[in-house]
Amino acid sequence: MSAAVLRPATSRASALWRSRRIFALLVVRDLKVRYAGSALGWLWSVLDPLLMAVVYWFVFTTIFERTVGEEPYIVFLLAGLLPWTWFNGAVTDTARALRVDEKLVRSTSVQREVWVLRLVASKGLEFLLSLPVLAIFAVAFGADLHWQVVYAPLALVLQTVLLAGLGLLLSPLIVLVRDLERVVRIVLRLWFYVTPVIYGAVDIPEEYRAVFALNPLTGVFSLYRAAFFPDQVVWSHVATAAVVSVLVLVVGWMVFARLERTVLKEI
Amino acid sequence: MQTPIVSVDGVGIRFSTGRRHRSARDFLFRNDRGTREDRSFWAVRDVSFDVMPGESVGLVGANGQGKSTLLKLIAGVMLPDEGTLDVRGGVAPLIEITGGFVPDLTVRENIRLIAGLHGMRKSTIDEKFPEIVQFADIGDFLDTPYKHLSSGMKVRVAFSVVSRLDEPIMLIDEVLAVGDAAFKKKCYRRIKNLRTSGTTMFVVSHHLGELRRFCTRGLYLSKGELLFDGPIDEVIERYRADVGLSR
Repeated sequence: MSAAVLRPATSRASALWRSRRIFALLVVRDLKVRYAGSALGWLWSVLDPLLMAVVYWFVFTTIFERTVGEEPYIVFLLAGLLPWTWFNGAVTDTARALRVDEKLVRSTSVQREVWVLRLVASKGLEFLLSLPVLAIFAVAFGADLHWQVVYAPLALVLQTVLLAGLGLLLSPLIVLVRDLERVVRIVLRLWFYVTPVIYGAVDIPEEYRAVFALNPLTGVFSLYRAAFFPDQVVWSHVATAAVVSVLVLVVGWMVFARLERTVLKEI
Repeated sequence: MQTPIVSVDGVGIRFSTGRRHRSARDFLFRNDRGTREDRSFWAVRDVSFDVMPGESVGLVGANGQGKSTLLKLIAGVMLPDEGTLDVRGGVAPLIEITGGFVPDLTVRENIRLIAGLHGMRKSTIDEKFPEIVQFADIGDFLDTPYKHLSSGMKVRVAFSVVSRLDEPIMLIDEVLAVGDAAFKKKCYRRIKNLRTSGTTMFVVSHHLGELRRFCTRGLYLSKGELLFDGPIDEVIERYRADVGLSR
């Protein structure tokens, strides 16, 4: 990269660091809206993954003969569904971040990345707050906790990087091309099935492994699952996930910086 | 010599005159990728000037000549397509001021949110909160959702918050048109105080009396270009002559 590209990148990063107070303010506001809006706030945020887990658990243990995943399957499911809920929610929300808050974006000179990144953070905190559900199910169904639980922070970092990149990439594009929002929704639905959520990374047939590994969530989710199912981790998947996530962040940030000027005229 | 607090050098910004939003189909298949030379116009072009700390500058010109756009560029809520803009200090923008407020949040929450978004610290907000409320004269409506306020009240709240930001630069765009006589008087007093304390000001107003009252220097914009930069009285004279008004 040339100096001309690097200089704006560092100045953007430092401007972002100076915006940290505003960033925190917005994250807190998001959580307040989420949790103070109703007494059942927290329950609403875990209800979706919980219900989906019950549905898949019923379908794959009672209707079909389950050949994938591990026992206890409900814990296996939740360990994938909770981070998926974060991923899904964050991509949906960050993609329309600049559009939903257009009036605020237009009237303050807050470093524009903040509008996107704060949603990655608030959705991430929601995810962390939903983890007790996983713990409860693990205890109830007797899943053993392994030392590989230490991989979880790495998974958290990788997922944050990936989400930041996708948000920065999509949010300006959606201002300029409105119906992209629908495309995002459809892609997310398909993405769910090509991600090891209801099955594990090790269940993927050999000939498809290389393709599936390109999906960074394959590596990331196996790291979360390692806490209870250490055999799920394939390190080559994790390495790919790291490379792809960082790449997405770099491309996303470049696109964001490039389109910012145009977006400000359009919102 | 003092350094200017705002330096504008050859600044230009271009808008597309075509459709605002494109669908994915247009984007992919019609090679219709936004601002193109033939379907765009320059809202501001080749504008250069320096402003010293403490100066107060009135922007003069008919509608659509680039005054508000220029303020937005100084506020940093738009970015120039050419030229450079150096703003050496925080900006308190009274531009589209009610825009940043969230309709569903209460007045109290909005005051905290907007003050925070403009970089005010939490402790400062706590400290200034009573002043802001008192100035807006909105005490009874603190826990009312912002959307239920009358438009005059909305402007009052917004003005109170933004004018309390204590930034060295303040931008005022036609905000004084709304609000009743009593509030206007309060605003005038506040602006005067800020001026005496050394705040640099940029004022857009069609009320020429207001411009004379607040500004010492004027910038006359026409078709996005800076026609004349001089003492406010001369600028206003020229503007009046151009639009066919005589004294």
